[in-house]
Amino acid sequence: MAATPELFLLITCVNSRWHAVASWTWDAQDETCGICRMAFDGCCPDCKYPGDDCPLIWGACNHSFHLHCILKWVNSQTQPHCPMCRREWQFKA
Amino acid sequence: MDADLEALDALTEGNLQQIIESWECFCTGTDSFLSGDLSVAADSDEYAASVRALSHYGLTRLVGDHFLQALEESFRKNAVSKFWKSFNPSSDKTAASTVSSFSNVISLMSQEGSEEMLTASLEEICMEKVYQEKLLSILLNSLLSEGDVASELEDYISTLLPRHQLMVSSVLHSTLPQPFLGILRLYFRKILEELSSMITGECEDGYEASVDSGVGFTCKSDMASRAGAMEIEEVYDQSVTLKNNELIKNIGKLVRDLRSLGFTSVTEDAYASAIFSLLKIKVQYLAGDDYRSPVLESIKEWIQAVPLQFLNALLGYLGDSAGHEDSNSGLKSPLASLPTCYPGIDMPSEELVRWQLRLEYFAYESLQDLRIAKLFEIIVDYPDSSPAIEDLKQCLDCTGQHSKLVDSFISSLRFRLLTAGASTNDILHQYVSTIKALRIIDPTGVFLEAVGEPIREYLRRRKDTIKCIVTMLTDGSGGSATGAGNTGDSLLEELNRNAENQESADYDDDLVTDDKQAWINAMRWEPDPVEADPARGSRNRRKIDILGMMVSIIGSKDQLVNEHRIMLADKLLNKSDYDIDSEIRTLELLKIHFGESSMQRCEIMLNDLIDSKRTNSNIKVSAAKATQIDAKQDEGDMSLEVFDATIISSNFWPPIQAESINVPVAVEELLSDYARRFHEVKAPRKLLWRKNLGVVKLELQFEDRALQFTVSPVQATIILKFQEQASWTSKNLAAAVGTPVDILNRRISFWVSKGILVESPGSDSDDHIYTVVDEMSETNRNGLAKGTLEDLSANDEEGEGSLASVEEQLRKEMTIYEKFIVGMLTNFGSMALDRIHNTLKMFCIAEPTYDKSVQQLQSFLEGLIAEEKLEMRDGMYVLKR
Repeated sequence: MAATPELFLLITCVNSRWHAVASWTWDAQDETCGICRMAFDGCCPDCKYPGDDCPLIWGACNHSFHLHCILKWVNSQTQPHCPMCRREWQFKA
Repeated sequence: MDADLEALDALTEGNLQQIIESWECFCTGTDSFLSGDLSVAADSDEYAASVRALSHYGLTRLVGDHFLQALEESFRKNAVSKFWKSFNPSSDKTAASTVSSFSNVISLMSQEGSEEMLTASLEEICMEKVYQEKLLSILLNSLLSEGDVASELEDYISTLLPRHQLMVSSVLHSTLPQPFLGILRLYFRKILEELSSMITGECEDGYEASVDSGVGFTCKSDMASRAGAMEIEEVYDQSVTLKNNELIKNIGKLVRDLRSLGFTSVTEDAYASAIFSLLKIKVQYLAGDDYRSPVLESIKEWIQAVPLQFLNALLGYLGDSAGHEDSNSGLKSPLASLPTCYPGIDMPSEELVRWQLRLEYFAYESLQDLRIAKLFEIIVDYPDSSPAIEDLKQCLDCTGQHSKLVDSFISSLRFRLLTAGASTNDILHQYVSTIKALRIIDPTGVFLEAVGEPIREYLRRRKDTIKCIVTMLTDGSGGSATGAGNTGDSLLEELNRNAENQESADYDDDLVTDDKQAWINAMRWEPDPVEADPARGSRNRRKIDILGMMVSIIGSKDQLVNEHRIMLADKLLNKSDYDIDSEIRTLELLKIHFGESSMQRCEIMLNDLIDSKRTNSNIKVSAAKATQIDAKQDEGDMSLEVFDATIISSNFWPPIQAESINVPVAVEELLSDYARRFHEVKAPRKLLWRKNLGVVKLELQFEDRALQFTVSPVQATIILKFQEQASWTSKNLAAAVGTPVDILNRRISFWVSKGILVESPGSDSDDHIYTVVDEMSETNRNGLAKGTLEDLSANDEEGEGSLASVEEQLRKEMTIYEKFIVGMLTNFGSMALDRIHNTLKMFCIAEPTYDKSVQQLQSFLEGLIAEEKLEMRDGMYVLKR
């Protein structure tokens, strides 16, 4: 292999267009919602589409649930607590 | 008897003498009559007197019997042998020639003037017969002139003429030589062919005028036949040529002669078989191998034009002689003896109608046989061959021989379609055509069920059936090169049509609540054909639904939906634009058919694409703002302008094979920039890049040209590495790209095949050196020109796309049950496939429920055998020790 790299032609790449694929995920500590036991990256049983249509919500205690699930829970309680840790439920600011 | 005895007693010598004299006179008279010596007629008085004398003594019966016997003897001796001799020329040579070969007959017929011979000899023998009848009548006259004749004697005398007739025909029949029938048949055939060619020739000139409609024609000719022989000529002059008429007259004479000889049924046989064979030839000629035009009508027209006209004329001609024939012929076949017309009623004679029905049935049957034999070919070019199908339907409606169709078609299917050589696409195509074609023939679907079953069974054994069906369902554009594009079209169309039907069906259901409508429906009910399988209810047979039948091949719609999801995912991930209109359309149609819930995941996948498009543009806008503010843009660096992303909800997509790669630094920066911006827009969501997925469009610039490619990210990463360095060893490159060497080697082969890189053996045996090709040969250049088009398909062909295949997915799902199966087999020792399946079904009811088919289980167990965990012994699975 006597040839030196300088003798080889280098490829120049122009006008490239990159279409990448990614998957999104909620940055939650847990995998599944503690109320409906569905995956966070999925959606709650009442929803059809995951993502924007079925967002996640964090409580002050740092526990996360599907928004729809925890709302249902909160609305059914007079003095709502976090279903996981029993602390008083407050939405994280 | 007593009277006779008394008469015997009363006889005197003189009486006896007189009887003997009279008898002698009678005998000599008879002999001389028969020898043709009519001079005896001169002293017929004497003869008559002797007859009278004999009958006076009560010997009438003796006289009659003797006379008949004498007639028979002479007939047999003179006329018959002469008659037959003319038809059996070889009889002189060998005794056994009565069993004459067919070629003999042909040679006989091919002789010029054989027709004349036939007519002449027939005429001769008829003359003989008429002469004998004349003699007989002389005898009868002398017998009856006695005056008062006892009534029983009168009865006896009146039977003499029929007896003579019977004698003639029985003598002829008993001496009938074999070839005679053949000769008759050939004669009629020849005449008919002549007639046919004459009439068809005429039809070309003035068909409309002469035979504009069958009924009208028969009516007209029927009138003619009623008007008698003389008028036939006049009326026919308008429509049929004089020669034609002459021909029919000749035939009529011949047939009449034959009838008078007692050959009624033989003659009928002969001309019937001649007509039928001619009809068969005509059907074959008309039908042929062309399925694009209906032939049934023209066959019917031909029947009207030729054989019916012939029969009509023939029957009409015979009709005028029917009067005296009916009275003395007890031998006529029931069909022939009917009067030719109903006086006063203006309609074709019953006889003619019967003939027409017979001929049409025969035509139907032969056309049907012809079509059934070629049904496979007909169905192959189905949409074009629908006229043939229509014809066949009409034929079958008339003949009712559907089972023939089923049997023959199934056997041709097995022989020609369901073989290893046929591609699944072709089989499916044929299946769809079969469904469509048989739907026309038999709307109830009974026969379709019988025919479809072998195809379905066969398709179930093929692995790629599901894939092909889904492709057919979804690929409306029909891009496949195997010519199955049409099929895809038709199935998508079917989806469409089905959607419309469904709506109207719903509408129907609503109406059924109405009593009136229910009554109408009830009135419309028809029983299933007798061939229907009683095990299956008729209700689900009502609607022949192609899609339903396709799904039933697979077994469950879940499998089909799953396969569709995987194929859809593959398609979506390889899209560089967000154009999913056709996919949405297909999905909507599938939703109508398979239910919304089962297509939920596919819907989410499409929704992801729509969301991605929106998010992508949002992010780009924000990025553009950012660069404006910052006002600093690295030159030559890739900006977000040339970058797009598809963001998927991974939970709802089929499992994706992760394959880590080190994308070029510039791209890596873009990715993190994009992810950061996404996090800003969609907080608190984050992005996880699937770096091996996606599409990259590249333009490679060489000294004198630029080449465009559409490739996968891995391939792009590889080729971009050659921007830094023109030559790489495979190990170094693999490390730089971040993939195992074997995967790299597989991916890089794309560039090698495109002639961009060249592979050379390196220092190490398993190390290769890849170098950029500096100069391209002509052949390479040609290859490159086409290159871009095939890129994506080449990508597919590389196998193992980015998505896990169905089998792998299934395998993954089945591994849960492995423990169950192993446990079962430790307990029970050995188990059959069915038993394992049933046990799993019984016990795995908790999450995850066991919902696999026997086939799926079997393939999984085969995998376990391959892994040497299980063994198969006599059809039973056992643990491998």
